[in-house]
Parts: sequence; structure tokens; C-alpha cells
Amino acid sequence: MNQISNAIYEIHHMDTIASRDQWVNQIHPLVKFVLTVTYIAMVVSFSKYDLIGLVGMMVYPIAGFILAELSFKDSLKRLRIVIPLVCLIGIVNPFFDRVPIQIGDITVNGGVISMFTLIFKGIFTVLAAYLLIATTTIEKICYALRLLHLPEIMITQFLLTYRYVTVLLEEVNRITQAYSLRAPNQKGIHYKVWGTLTGQVLLRSMDRANAVYESMLLRGYDGSFSYMGKDIGITVPDVIYMIFWLAVFIIFRRYPVFLIVGSLF
Amino acid sequence: MAEIRMEHVSFSYEKGNYVLKDINIKAEGAESIGLIGANGIGKSTLMKMLVGLNQGFEGSVLVDGMPVEKNTLNEIRKKIGYVFQDSDNQLFLSTAYEDIAFGPKNYGFSDEEVARRVARALELTGITHLKDRQTYKMSGGEKKLVSIATILSMEPEIILMDEPSIALDPRNRRNLIHILNSFHQLKIIASHDLDMIWDTCERTILMADKRIICDGDTKEILSNRELMEENGLELPLRLMK
Repeated sequence: MNQISNAIYEIHHMDTIASRDQWVNQIHPLVKFVLTVTYIAMVVSFSKYDLIGLVGMMVYPIAGFILAELSFKDSLKRLRIVIPLVCLIGIVNPFFDRVPIQIGDITVNGGVISMFTLIFKGIFTVLAAYLLIATTTIEKICYALRLLHLPEIMITQFLLTYRYVTVLLEEVNRITQAYSLRAPNQKGIHYKVWGTLTGQVLLRSMDRANAVYESMLLRGYDGSFSYMGKDIGITVPDVIYMIFWLAVFIIFRRYPVFLIVGSLF
Repeated sequence: MAEIRMEHVSFSYEKGNYVLKDINIKAEGAESIGLIGANGIGKSTLMKMLVGLNQGFEGSVLVDGMPVEKNTLNEIRKKIGYVFQDSDNQLFLSTAYEDIAFGPKNYGFSDEEVARRVARALELTGITHLKDRQTYKMSGGEKKLVSIATILSMEPEIILMDEPSIALDPRNRRNLIHILNSFHQLKIIASHDLDMIWDTCERTILMADKRIICDGDTKEILSNRELMEENGLELPLRLMK
């Protein structure tokens, strides 16, 4: 499978796991969206030296992955581009931040702590976002955004961009396959035809997008992309789930739970 | 009773370069009409004019007595279901249910009514089992049936189909013919599959050279070798010897 087919497969695969019949997937999208945003806000609010407090926040992605029966290995594989970036940003901290920090009997360079804090913050927020999209279809996320009264045009743009990405990728895939079948000894695409191929991809994608748009128009599309499933009501389990996690976030943000538990033994 | 009326209609994408000239069609009731002609003769263009996707034509196009123009398009598109040649253009949401519900939702029906319409469309096309299936995972035949269901959920009075049997295997094609014959709306089917036209349409319109060459009984037209060959077509396979 080439890289483009792989990308198309990945998008479809995310759709598939997001629409599974797991109970986490059935939780109201607004609840999951609010929890994710709150979690991210709380994670980034930790001070740069509060590594122990921050580590406690890993409880949400870990519990989420277990409850949703998501593979941690698969998610790391999918996030392989983002995580090195996050690490790269933090890696310079030990050189600039030389404040000594006492941990027990050991004195550590503050930059090392802040580097790990930054890396953990990055990983936790990315995992929380992944947890959201792996348990909620894009349509349901947009439904949640609509309930939050975000501008309609933004939501439509978001939804259609997501849908059209595969249309564009499929066109690119078709063109590159046709090219490679007739240029068997070449690695990649020769730079002399880059312009022509890009133009072709653009024109074909526009044609395709226009056909999709026409099909939408003929079925009453008037600029607003309403949620196509049945309206989803917030149930008691949804509320309990939300209250539970908000309480956990607050406790873990306010108190170093791991230290407290550790001091008991 | 559904009615389509085209009188002295001509159309060009560029000024003076006509792709359709002096088209006159009257169709009503539960007629099933085959639209045939060689490639690029303007069959799709003609059908797109009926739903206002190609505007700026000369002459008059009326759907149920309403002229096809900007302020009537909403009403006209409610009455007409258009099935595209390429199902991938018709299906752009994740699951069959969402795609089939798209039309009724946009027309503001209640959730219960949308659910009823989707269930009925799925039943009519015999694909209830595909309701929650993701469309990209479907075979060509399944996609075509879902495409048809997307328009049936709008309960149209008129159905327009552009090459519905293209890329279908023999069993799916036969299934499609059965389904088309079970519909009692006014249908116009543009196709090169002359055997399917023979099986589904009692009336046929033959187009060539930007015009309507012949409009009449399907079996008479399709079995007229001379007429068909003159206009870039052949006899249906069943009549070939």
C-alpha cells in the first residue's frame, strides 16, 4: 500500500473505530467534547516544574483507552508524527533553564523537569484529542459544536473539509498510480511533471467537488449542514460520566494525589 | 399528476455553440422514459436542465406547471429525485442512514418523519441491512442502491437517472431493473444499456446531433436497426444475431 492509500485507509479506519458500538462511543458527544477541552485546559495549566502533579492527569487517557478498548500501540503509531514534534520543542529546555530544583536528596536542573513537563503535557493533550476522535464520529463532534452555538459556517467548513480530504486524496492516488504504472523505473514523480500533475489533481478535484455539491443542492442543501442522525438527548449516565470526570480532574489538579497515596504507605 | 414539459428548448455552455437544439418533450403520469444516444450527445445536460443545474437555456421548461427558474428551484427539487451516474458523487456522508436522511433533514421534516422515510426508502430498495454500514465499504451495486434510496427518501414525484446500470454486475443489474419496475413515479432514464431500457421503459427518446430524432414506443425504436445505426447506436444485445 502506498502512502496515499495508507492515508485514505487511516481516515476510513478512524471513521470505523469512532462509529463502533462501545458504550464510550455512545456517550453524548457534547459531554466528551467538554471533557476533552476541560482536560486539555487543566493539563496545560500545570506549572512547568509540577511534574508529579501533571503525571496524575494521565489517569484520564489511560482510563479512556481501557474503557473504549482502544489499542495504545495503534494510537502511538498514528501519533508518530506529532509526538516527536512535541519532544523536539521540549528538548532545548535543559540548556536555557538552569534553575536548580531539589527532589528529595537530589538536585536536578529545572530545565530537565520542565522538559518532561512539556513533553507530558503534549502527549496527554494529544492522547485526549485522539480519544475524542476515536470514540466520536466527525458528524457527532460537529453536532456538539452546533449545540455550543459555534458559527454554522465554521462547522460546515470543518465537516466538508474532512469529507473532501478523501476526495482529493483519491484523485491524487489515481493519478500517481497511473503515472507509476507507466514509469516503472522511476522513484517517485519526476519534477518536470509536478506542475502538470498538480494542475490535473486540482481540476479533477474541483470537478468532483462540484458534482458532490450538485448532488447536495438537489437534496435541499441550503448552506447549513445539519446533523443527519437522530437528535441525541443527554441521559443520566452521560451526566454522571461528566460529573465523575470533572471531579477527578479537579482533585488531580488541586492535590498531588500520587504523593498523598504514596505517603500513606 | 407529475408532468414535465420542454418546449423549443436550446442550450449552450458557450454562446452560439449549442449542445441541445429545439428540444420538445412532454411527459406525465407514471411514464417510464428511456433517453438514449451516443456519448456526449447531451443526455445528462438535458436532465440537469430539468433540475436547474444547467440554467440559461432558451425556450421553456416546466415541471408540474412551474417554470424552472431560480425562485422555483427549491420546490422543483423537492419533486424530482436525481440519481447521478457516479454513486461516489451522491454519497458523501459516513453511513447509508446519514446519506439517505440528508434530503428529508434539509427539507425540515421531524426526526420521526425522517426515520420513517429512511426506513421506507431502505425497504423499497431492499437494503435495510445496509442502514448503518459505512458507504465507502460498500460494493458498486450496494452504493447504487443507496444512491437510489437517497432520492426515494424525498418521496419524489419524478425520478431522473443517469446511467443507473453502469458498473453493475449482472445480478445487481437485474436487481436494479426489478426495483425500477416497482416504482410508479414518472421516470426518465438516460442510458447506453439498451437492454435495460427495453426492460424498464415503455417509451424511448433517441437523441442525436443535438436534437431529438425520435420519440415513441421503446420496442419499435430499439428494434429499428437502420435508425439505431444511423445515430451511432446498435441494436440491444437481445436482438443481435
